[in-house]
Amino acid sequence: MIGADQLMARFLTLDLVYAITGLLLLAFGLTTAGDRHHQRRYVSGIFWIILGVIFLGGSLLPHWTTGLLALVLVVLDGSGRVGQGGPAGGDSASKPSEAAASSISPHDPGNRIFWPVILIPAATFLLALLFRQAGLDANRGALVGLGLGSLLAMAIAKHLTRATLALLIREGRRLNEAMGPVNILPQLLASLGAILAAANIGQPIAAAIRHLVPGDNLFLMVLANCLGMALLTILLGNSFAAFPVIASGVMLPLLVIPFGVDPALAAIITLTAGSSGTLMTPMAANFNIVPAALLNLDDRYGVIRYQLSYALALWAFHVIWLWAVIRFF
Amino acid sequence: MITEELFKLAAIGKLAGIALIVVGLILRWRTTVVVASASLLTGLLAGMPLFSEESPFRVIPGMTRAGRIGIVDLLGKAFADNRLMTLFILTLPAIGLAERYGLQERSAALILRIRVATAGRLLVVYQFFRILQGALGIRLNGHPSFVRPLICPMSLGAAESTGQLTPARRERIKAANAAAENYGNFYGQNLSPVQAGVLLVFGVMQGLGVKVGMWDLVRQTLPVVVASIILGLFQFYRLDRELAGPRDNQPHRDLIHKNQIGGNQ
Repeated sequence: MIGADQLMARFLTLDLVYAITGLLLLAFGLTTAGDRHHQRRYVSGIFWIILGVIFLGGSLLPHWTTGLLALVLVVLDGSGRVGQGGPAGGDSASKPSEAAASSISPHDPGNRIFWPVILIPAATFLLALLFRQAGLDANRGALVGLGLGSLLAMAIAKHLTRATLALLIREGRRLNEAMGPVNILPQLLASLGAILAAANIGQPIAAAIRHLVPGDNLFLMVLANCLGMALLTILLGNSFAAFPVIASGVMLPLLVIPFGVDPALAAIITLTAGSSGTLMTPMAANFNIVPAALLNLDDRYGVIRYQLSYALALWAFHVIWLWAVIRFF
Repeated sequence: MITEELFKLAAIGKLAGIALIVVGLILRWRTTVVVASASLLTGLLAGMPLFSEESPFRVIPGMTRAGRIGIVDLLGKAFADNRLMTLFILTLPAIGLAERYGLQERSAALILRIRVATAGRLLVVYQFFRILQGALGIRLNGHPSFVRPLICPMSLGAAESTGQLTPARRERIKAANAAAENYGNFYGQNLSPVQAGVLLVFGVMQGLGVKVGMWDLVRQTLPVVVASIILGLFQFYRLDRELAGPRDNQPHRDLIHKNQIGGNQ
């Protein structure tokens, strides 16, 4: 007999969730390619099919194959032919007027329409807890929960509205195509981050700070540390990628050791000083650019524009707080 | 020293990829193309080969180099490893179907039952809710699962209940929604010792030979969390002030069905 936790560890894997996503993307791509009302059906269809193949095979394919497929995605997007069906040729069923009309249909689900939507975060939460109880990685549990919760939500939404499977897929496709190729940007930026890290891009930045800032001035060093962290985060789009560079190149040798600073204090404040950078940069596409597409903002930098004053104020707080705690406590 | 100068030059040369990104984003070139080009350029300037030796491209001279990982291989590995960033696509069919059957209209209608609800107050509550989630150790991308289907229609509905919104104001409310999610997510997650941020700091510091306590990290991040909440209160209160400014003052509760975020306009 094997226990429930072993079953969970063996079957509820990330690869399972990736495979489900891959199949959904294949369904999106195939229906787009077959949609005669879609003005850019073939290039758009191929784009989502290739992404589906990467999701299905990403753990098995040689890395160079995945890399080339990702570059094909970029070329397809660069051709400008990946997109929605266009206002003239789009799916007539997905016009908002009809969506409004459908709410008075005999199958009006009423407030039960909230169920599928609430189910997704609920499943995410539940599986994270279950995984932790079983001594497994809670983050993986959350992602598996997101996958299974989404599947269950699809089933419940379909049942409540008595919609066909084709309509379910089409509605998903509508949202996916409204966002468009920007959806692959977070993965692409992660690839750029890996190459920037392999090229040791943080070294010249850390070296410049060491060169420019007088080592005996506490305030200037705190300022340079937090500024370097924010700038590198803006460039890399990820404070987690910037932290090891700044921690090893600036924070530890120039701040913690010479001034005898509590390393826990310096480290966590340096990390969140980088979060201000994340709020300001289009390189953090998953936090700033994809949500702008998801919420249909006209200005793709609208989220960053809104966050700018907040990020600057909170960054200034980091500098003053870190300096004051070292100086006065 | 000449070699030292050359080294510095090489270090600066590697930043050309970054420069390409800055220029490309300012000129609004297609982002995916800019990012991929910058990846290739940075890798080439750092002396990386295009492919690893394990690939069949080793038969073509100059494509691989002994013992060095290829740019395309590294790109593919990171692209595959980070598929989790794109899992939100799974949520789209259920949300899309629910939206077609009036989810956004119902979200907006729900918030109108709460008299004191305003767009700004709702976002303050949401930011706080996300901080609590972070403290409980739950890592969740809230933009697709909470903001688009629930919070954004609610805040638009609350703002629209006293009069019709101009497009600029709708845009601003939507941006504030995305921001509230980020504020709560970024600063709340360090309140949990099992979340990625604290684990990363712990691991990096250990690698540098410095032992830090996980709970010390959590304790030291508290002032930042408090500051992030206060600044959020300030910004979202200002949003409400802005929205209360002069506009068409007729109540437009009947316009709520136009209140959806849309997806295909």
